[in-house]
Amino acid sequence: MPPDSVTMQVAPAADAAAPPPRRGETARKLLRAGSLLTFVAVFAVFAATAPGFLNAGNLANIVGQVAVIGVLALGMTLVVVGGGNDVVRGGIDLSLANNLGLCAAVYATVLGDGWGDGAALLATAATGLLVGAVNAVSVVLLGILPLLATLAVMNVCAGLELVLTHNTVVAASSPVLDVIAGEYPAGVPVLGYVLLGATAVLFVVLQLTPAGLRLYAVGGHREAARAAGLPVGTYVAASYLGSGLCAALASLLSVALLSGSTTGSGDMLLSVVVTALLGVVFSRRLVATIPGTLLSALFVGMLINGFQLLNVSSYWVNGVQGVLILLVVAATSTLRREAR
Amino acid sequence: MRTPSRYALVVALIAVFAFFSVATTTFLTPGNLLGILVNNFALLAIVSMGMTLAIAAGGIDLSVGTSIDIASLVFVAAVAAHQNFAVALIGAVAGGLAVGAFNAVLIAALRVTPFLATLGTLFIGQSVQQLSTSGGQPIYLITGHVPAAFSFIGHGTVLGVPFTLIVVAAVVAAFAAIMGRSLFGRRVVALGAQPGVAWYSGLRVSRDTALVYLFSALACAIAGILLSCTVRAYVPLSGNAYLLNAIGATFIGTTFSPAGRPSVIGTLLGVLLLNIVANGLLLIGWNFYWQQVGTGVLIFLVLVISFGSRRLRSGAVPLNSAAS
Repeated sequence: MPPDSVTMQVAPAADAAAPPPRRGETARKLLRAGSLLTFVAVFAVFAATAPGFLNAGNLANIVGQVAVIGVLALGMTLVVVGGGNDVVRGGIDLSLANNLGLCAAVYATVLGDGWGDGAALLATAATGLLVGAVNAVSVVLLGILPLLATLAVMNVCAGLELVLTHNTVVAASSPVLDVIAGEYPAGVPVLGYVLLGATAVLFVVLQLTPAGLRLYAVGGHREAARAAGLPVGTYVAASYLGSGLCAALASLLSVALLSGSTTGSGDMLLSVVVTALLGVVFSRRLVATIPGTLLSALFVGMLINGFQLLNVSSYWVNGVQGVLILLVVAATSTLRREAR
Repeated sequence: MRTPSRYALVVALIAVFAFFSVATTTFLTPGNLLGILVNNFALLAIVSMGMTLAIAAGGIDLSVGTSIDIASLVFVAAVAAHQNFAVALIGAVAGGLAVGAFNAVLIAALRVTPFLATLGTLFIGQSVQQLSTSGGQPIYLITGHVPAAFSFIGHGTVLGVPFTLIVVAAVVAAFAAIMGRSLFGRRVVALGAQPGVAWYSGLRVSRDTALVYLFSALACAIAGILLSCTVRAYVPLSGNAYLLNAIGATFIGTTFSPAGRPSVIGTLLGVLLLNIVANGLLLIGWNFYWQQVGTGVLIFLVLVISFGSRRLRSGAVPLNSAAS
């Protein structure tokens, strides 16, 4: 892919030019403040109207409820950062949700065959990494568009999961699962701690280390990053491996939560994409960030939880999510245009 | 250098066709081939036409399923309420076009990127359907109580040719004419290849973009009507099943064009490849699970061959707009 990209840079796309610093800065600050304000406002409305919302136990539960999608969205964030935010030609990992399904199936099957937790965990991590590696090879070495490569890999994962599970629930129990699904230290489900832990680790790597900054450089302008001497391919490949590992981690959470490997994990894909992309508004430069993704996951979890407590049909959640994306993106692109 | 990329798809198609013809006794029978065309090829081909246009214009339409579903919902609800059949048809098309118009406003007027705009539409469409069917209850029509025209669209034949296939041919011909012969089609190609240049050249980018998503929604509405007539029901959220295959078929089809661009013929070949592989794997006794693996691997191989040989000719294919 890289050598070809020069051709398109001849003409800057009409709506994708960099805004001059000052007005653009104000616009972005407005949007970011607006998003945070929305977050706080929704929180306040639920706190005032939904009985039991402000309960410490309930808030902790929200963190647990969004853990699976949250961890997946963290993986998606890595790929989006490394691939650039053009969703069609840039970085995206459509195989994430089905990779989770496959990892969950592997974990449950290996346990079911009488192996211990160690072997099962190894096999699961290896599966997630392997899928990530296939994505990395196809995108970096073979130069296939990420959207297409991960689409094909997604199909393969979905098929392999069905082969392993025969489209049924494979029950699983193990000490590790008991820990994850078990006690609530300090009132927060272990699932929630895993999400927060993964967020913390990725936050340090992506936002605080030089390697993280370089990954942003690679995604932001690949040719410039290459000219600056960065091993572009290595960074992109690493982002897909990281994403695969996130799928493996999320699969453990999912198995623990549902006491087994279940079908239909692919349905999570679009929610994961939305969560990762919605997180953009919580960042200063309107790019994907780890804290932004966490906030966005919590926001969606908060909506679902609040609606449940208010007895609003959960059928509204998708629609609200859709409207939110559109509002956010329309606001972003309008602000960008005005800033020019 | 062009040959391997351009004809990888045709070779793959011939190879799988030949393989299944030899490997099974049932594949190369008129009944089976017709079944592939009517049951599998028809709807995906129509939906993929809209997707081809959207991708050719440099966008993507993730809400094809939503247009199919909304058209089907309006259509079946109208028929179930004993409305005039023409009214039901018009309502279905209007329902599908409403989804397209929503996309058009978002993308052309508000400048939301197509991926996100149609993703938002998809999510909103899910809520609309769940709310209007109390959580996703299908609407079934009783066989004896549907108008004759309804059954004809789903299962009728004209001179022995299934009506469904005639509709497919008409839609494909229309899209081929739009993309290959019309001025609008040329502008769409310019839009997809170099949006900046198209804009600076004074093309009315917004209007053309809006039309692209309306055309895509129109194709999906037609698919929704055919789907409802075939299964005599509206099943909520069933249209999404076509989304990833339509994207896959269109992009597989881009390997057929020397410049790696979407084309009507390429997309049709892509749809055929997907359908033949799925059918053939079923006939040689692979269960549904392995079919999915096989299809995924095959798409992957076509992509590898195509992108691999494209990379040898550097500079020919704009793969990465590096817009950020």
